[in-house]
Amino acid sequence: MADRVLLTIGTKKGLFVAEASRTRGRFALRGPFGPGVAVYATLTDTRGTPRIFASSCSAFFGMKVLRSANLGRSFQESASAPAFPKDDGRALANIWSLESGDHRRDLWCGVEPASLFHSDDDGESWELVPGISHHEHARKWQPGNGGLCLHTIVRDGSHLHLGISTGGHYRSEDGGRTFAAANTGVGAGFVPDPYPEFGQCVHKIARHPGAPGRFYMQNHGGWPDRPGIGVLRSDDDGRTWQSIAKGLPSDFGFPIVVHPHDPDTVYVAPLDPATRTCPDAAPAVWRSENGGGSWKRLSRGLPRKDAYFTILRDAMAIDDLKSPALYAGTTTGQLWMGQEGGEDWSCLFESLPPINNVKVAVV
Amino acid sequence: MTARAERFVTVHVPAPLRDCCGGTTTLAISAGSVRGVLDELERRHPRLHWNVCDETGALRRHLNVFVNGANIRDACGLETALAPGDTVTILTAVSGG
Repeated sequence: MADRVLLTIGTKKGLFVAEASRTRGRFALRGPFGPGVAVYATLTDTRGTPRIFASSCSAFFGMKVLRSANLGRSFQESASAPAFPKDDGRALANIWSLESGDHRRDLWCGVEPASLFHSDDDGESWELVPGISHHEHARKWQPGNGGLCLHTIVRDGSHLHLGISTGGHYRSEDGGRTFAAANTGVGAGFVPDPYPEFGQCVHKIARHPGAPGRFYMQNHGGWPDRPGIGVLRSDDDGRTWQSIAKGLPSDFGFPIVVHPHDPDTVYVAPLDPATRTCPDAAPAVWRSENGGGSWKRLSRGLPRKDAYFTILRDAMAIDDLKSPALYAGTTTGQLWMGQEGGEDWSCLFESLPPINNVKVAVV
Repeated sequence: MTARAERFVTVHVPAPLRDCCGGTTTLAISAGSVRGVLDELERRHPRLHWNVCDETGALRRHLNVFVNGANIRDACGLETALAPGDTVTILTAVSGG
């Protein structure tokens, strides 16, 4: 029986791992791992013996993939990192996402500049996935503030959904061989056309494994003239999207997370669109239990005032225990846990480096 | 200096990258330019090369290469010519945060 809750925490200054029993009574912290540089992607692969993968982004020496086979007690660099072919002309600037694939040793990796790589040997070697990396739109995508990044990979059998900022949402029905833009209903506030075919600044996409075809998206909202385009839902496998932002204090935010046992329960962390910090300096996570039809503010235990942090796109996660807990890492280095599905928050670690990424697995 | 040594330049490897080349602090490489040194590093020590250059062959932005103490930025960049006995030093730039 899986008896440990394992958090991987990617920060501006390396990778940390925190571990607790299933009661989540006390988390023990290990790290920092890696050379003390930014970590944007982590993955605990629970297929077979659990393994942890993480990106390591060195301004000096380039991108690496770190790997641990002992639940994050030590990490080694994989034999190679994703790299563009020499004649491509692009150079890897960051590794934004790592996701497990269909088979035991399959991995997917999303990078900046926005492209997708695949490995069939546990990350020892990588191949560029041309269907999206050489897509006819690829050279027209533009970087957002975080760079031109392919930050989200969501798998559903042979269907693959990608989130690109700023490129939009792309889906594949053939296991990643070909991709098509699927952004009907996904708005943009930074181009004249409010609903372009592609080029949206998608922040995050999430789904529930038990609800095929249901997807949630945190898009770049916060546009007074185009309200409600920031939080969206799709019920047709990402082909079309509808706003579910009504009732939120802001439709701007980065992460979006789905409850592990209920596809109708979804969480967002709204931010003030100007400062990209907590509205009124009072942080809260908002939960909908009816697929975005209405929202409830969850803030018990979080600071009531004077809090100016940001929760980045990959810095909120939820475990899959019977009564799941949310985890939210902040740009000011706090790691918060919201027990009872986000009802009751406490700070696990208050002085980590700025947090880019939080993932959780029960192993 | 031996006849063999005369054909080579000496490449000083920065401390964080020495595990990419068996722990050695210097490498003797036969090359007529800095680009030639990097090509030889790619052939003999691909992990070391990946740390120094990106996949387009460009020197990583926060690294500097010096030939006999002079930054190649102030010479001919990667085309800076080398003579046998020259010293090539790879160092991290002053940056961080």
